[in-house]
Amino acid sequence: MMITSLEAELPFYFGEDAELFGLFHAVGGPARRAVLLCPPLGQDHIRCHRLYRQLANALAGEGVPALRFDYYGTGDSAGDSADVDWSRCVADIATAADELRRRSGADRVIAFGARLGGSMASAAATDARFAGLVIWDPVFDGASYVSRLDAMQSALRQDKQRFMRPRSAADVAEQWLGFATSERLRRQVGELRLAPTAVPTLVLDSLDGVPDSGWRDRGDTQVRRLEPPAPWDDLNRLEVAILSHPLIQTVTGHVRVAA
Amino acid sequence: MTREQAFRFGRARHLVGIAGVPDDTSATVGVIVLNAGLVHRIGPFRLHVEMTRRLNASGYPTLRFDLSTLGDSGSSGESQTKVQQVNADVDDAMRLLGQQAGCSRFVLIGLCSGAQNAHSVACSDNKVVGAVFLDGYAYRTFGYRIRHYIPRLFDGERWRRALKRSRNQQVAATRSPEPVFAVAPSPQAVVRTDLAGMIERGMRLSLIYSGGISNYFNHSRQFRECFGSVVSHPYVSTSFLRESDHTYILTGDRHRLLDNIEHWIASNFPIVKAGTRS
Repeated sequence: MMITSLEAELPFYFGEDAELFGLFHAVGGPARRAVLLCPPLGQDHIRCHRLYRQLANALAGEGVPALRFDYYGTGDSAGDSADVDWSRCVADIATAADELRRRSGADRVIAFGARLGGSMASAAATDARFAGLVIWDPVFDGASYVSRLDAMQSALRQDKQRFMRPRSAADVAEQWLGFATSERLRRQVGELRLAPTAVPTLVLDSLDGVPDSGWRDRGDTQVRRLEPPAPWDDLNRLEVAILSHPLIQTVTGHVRVAA
Repeated sequence: MTREQAFRFGRARHLVGIAGVPDDTSATVGVIVLNAGLVHRIGPFRLHVEMTRRLNASGYPTLRFDLSTLGDSGSSGESQTKVQQVNADVDDAMRLLGQQAGCSRFVLIGLCSGAQNAHSVACSDNKVVGAVFLDGYAYRTFGYRIRHYIPRLFDGERWRRALKRSRNQQVAATRSPEPVFAVAPSPQAVVRTDLAGMIERGMRLSLIYSGGISNYFNHSRQFRECFGSVVSHPYVSTSFLRESDHTYILTGDRHRLLDNIEHWIASNFPIVKAGTRS
């Protein structure tokens, strides 16, 4: 029997010292597979919150349990924004995957992630024993991503729509678009060069950003175009939610036939 | 030490929130933080997480939660006006925090639409003894217009840009058209009366407005221009954070805001050690 009430969305804390916040979307019966939704970082996380909830509900509606969660230092999880660490995020994904297996009873877990969430899900694929990956506009080249965030942060301090007067460089230092950022995370993201894994992967590309080499023409990797382009890097839409009905349809359709 | 707990609660178990209750709390007020616009309970740039944890560290129990249909909360399924729904949701939130922390009086904090919702509840619920309105109700006053337009009259660069725009007939918007965190206006006279009523009931109020709403609020004097003598009452505190934007995107601005709120709460609702009452 399918659970359709709000009772099926259970918020809780899990992991070592119960530091991680999660929200489990249960289904009424046994499940063969489940989906772990790995959020992006920073403002992308907030912008995607609604979409992730819609996706989790859509999956649960098809009988696929799903878990949404926040990395350490993000969302409702313990830790400060400045504590966000790439390695810890990747470890948190593996912890969350095990939690999802425990709660759902399904051993086959597929990961979904947008932007850095997709990149980190790929990095965690082996440790988390993912049966598949669906990654939406993942960050392939960390160095250029860091440059883009720096440029947006620099433009932010001159934003006349936001501030009565331009802010100093010191005012905007050590932050990316609203979130304190450590030098460590900056270096970790800057070193990112996303490579395909051995796990079957669907890349959903709305930015025309998939590198020519490595990602195409691989048996275990599909690249699919997703329209319309998501406005990830538009400073004017920084506080506007990212929503995409095509994304939900594509992911649920893929999970339906996968595994 | 505070451990946060996640709850599904409410009259239809439709609400989701995070309660933080300090181990050794002796506070008799709990602090409840409402959604800012459509952002889920963590707040813009995680403002509400930083705020509640800061207050927990000072000894205050807190709850940040999503109102009906926002964030992770669903609909109660009832047929209610927006105001009825908000009042009922906050009542559910007060009941939960009361059960968890033993408090029976509450301070509400809200930014923009959250301030509007806090205002609405504060008007009618005696359990609310304090409120922090962040970029709440405000009105373009005569003083606002003087401060806004006079400097522009003598700004040659601005005239040049305006003439150029006119020549080029450039009307393409560079901003997205979506309204973000918009607050529907409520009549100024009604809001004045509401605030006076709150003060009469003994409520403490903090009005903190930012430079991010400079399209309708541009000086600390405007508090009095908008709301009259009520803002001079000793129960009312006003701050105009000119440098900050509407959602406190910069970490330094957030810290200053949180300093302000923490100080105001500690001054108005001090935690009194065992043997006395706060």
